[in-house]
Amino acid sequence: MPASSIIPVDAQPMRTLTLAMAVMCYLATLALGGLMLVEAAVTQWTSGMTSQMTVQLRPTSGIDLSAETEKALAILSAAPGVLAARRIERAEALKLLEPWLGRTSVLEELPLPSLIAVAVDRTRPPDLAALERQLSANVRGVSIDTHARWQSQLIRTASTLRHLSLSILALIALSATALVIFATRSVLDANRGVIEVLHLVGAQDGFIARAVKGRFLRSGFLAGLLGTIGGIATFAILGLIGAPAGSSTLAEASTELLIAAPSVALATYSVFLLVPVCATLLSLVTAHLAVMRQLRGV
Amino acid sequence: MVVRFENVGLRYGVGPEVLKDVTFTLERGSFSFLTGPSGAGKSSLLKLLFLALRPTRGLINLFGRDIASLRRAEFPGLRRRIGVVFQDFKLLDHLSAYDNVALPLRAAGFRPDSYRSNVKELLDWVGLKGQADMFPPVLSGGEKQRVAIARAVVAKPELLLADEPTGNVDPSLATRLLHLFQELNRFGTTVLIATHDPHLIAGGTLPVLRLEKGHLN
Repeated sequence: MPASSIIPVDAQPMRTLTLAMAVMCYLATLALGGLMLVEAAVTQWTSGMTSQMTVQLRPTSGIDLSAETEKALAILSAAPGVLAARRIERAEALKLLEPWLGRTSVLEELPLPSLIAVAVDRTRPPDLAALERQLSANVRGVSIDTHARWQSQLIRTASTLRHLSLSILALIALSATALVIFATRSVLDANRGVIEVLHLVGAQDGFIARAVKGRFLRSGFLAGLLGTIGGIATFAILGLIGAPAGSSTLAEASTELLIAAPSVALATYSVFLLVPVCATLLSLVTAHLAVMRQLRGV
Repeated sequence: MVVRFENVGLRYGVGPEVLKDVTFTLERGSFSFLTGPSGAGKSSLLKLLFLALRPTRGLINLFGRDIASLRRAEFPGLRRRIGVVFQDFKLLDHLSAYDNVALPLRAAGFRPDSYRSNVKELLDWVGLKGQADMFPPVLSGGEKQRVAIARAVVAKPELLLADEPTGNVDPSLATRLLHLFQELNRFGTTVLIATHDPHLIAGGTLPVLRLEKGHLN
């Protein structure tokens, strides 16, 4: 006879608990997946930003913009930490403005600044302050755009999303704990007579707790497994059917998360596997503590 | 000395005292009867003995320990030294007769292999060989009582308490069960049997504790 069968547990309440826990685990998987999508997107965007910067020379009367640009290119090319410095030709700069101003002849007459795209070594970035001082001293009308403002805004947004996901996960864990405590109390209340007999024949609280928590272990594991499979299926469906027009990035990201790069997929599944593991541990530990606490009051 | 009661009083809530100034001792290896009319307090006294209740006043000493000084964690260890046959049997309906009898051994942490033959032998001895796999709801009153007795003695307790252990069995089985208690007693178990049955007490050689209106005579 297995230890768990010493304390009879009604199948119906346990099924309800398993179902409720499975929904929690499903939401936890979605929150974890969302967190990973945000992390991946932020990493991708920030790596692009930190490896590039733009040097701009404003057109001013009396200045030979082309000669100043050449001077700036020479300084940038010689600077440590700069991998490459490339002049953005006027045609290319006009193309960048097209989305805002359209394709119009007015653009041809616009006095555009001279732009230099600078590729930066992320492992040994240049001393931007020194570089800016050197450029300002030698080149007229120059300024550096390091994209720092965009980057900090992006990091702030990502951080908010990260905290939001973690808060959702914490709330889910809290709700699941409350559910298990409630279910454990129900089991003990329904088995007062059995527990009395077990105490009278010399059973320790730990023996009774082991008999009860076996059922919660199974319930937690099953719920975790079902919820995780449901969550993975949701991301897979998102990736397969694609998202509505205009938000295909989510579909691409979902596909990337699950099946694209093996290393990414491996990390994803490893994180998702934490859900059934955590659900099982949470059920086990909570049920044990709830039983021990309630038995101390007997 | 296994049991010592000194001026023990017990009341339930704010009701009257059901046990008043009860004082007695049970020596190791003794065999005693506890008798008295219904409502005299026999079951309450047994409950104090198997630590289901605490006295309102007085001193109870079990196996040399003052129970007032016991910590909760020490109760299981002490209860394992006591076998109890309850008047209402207190069998677990969802467990078979075999599993009910084996319960104290399981609770004490013994492996099933180590007690299987002992439990079967004991069930055979109380005449329940064929009922080992049956569940209490389908057993007769007498069969339940025998399962309860087997459960009480299976761990060879130092103190055996029985509340009307022969109330639901025929006279010949009652005599056999009494012999079982006497056999345990010969091996050193202290036995206290609470009973109404004058035939069980007949003979007059064994000590009898008589309770009347909460007083022990």
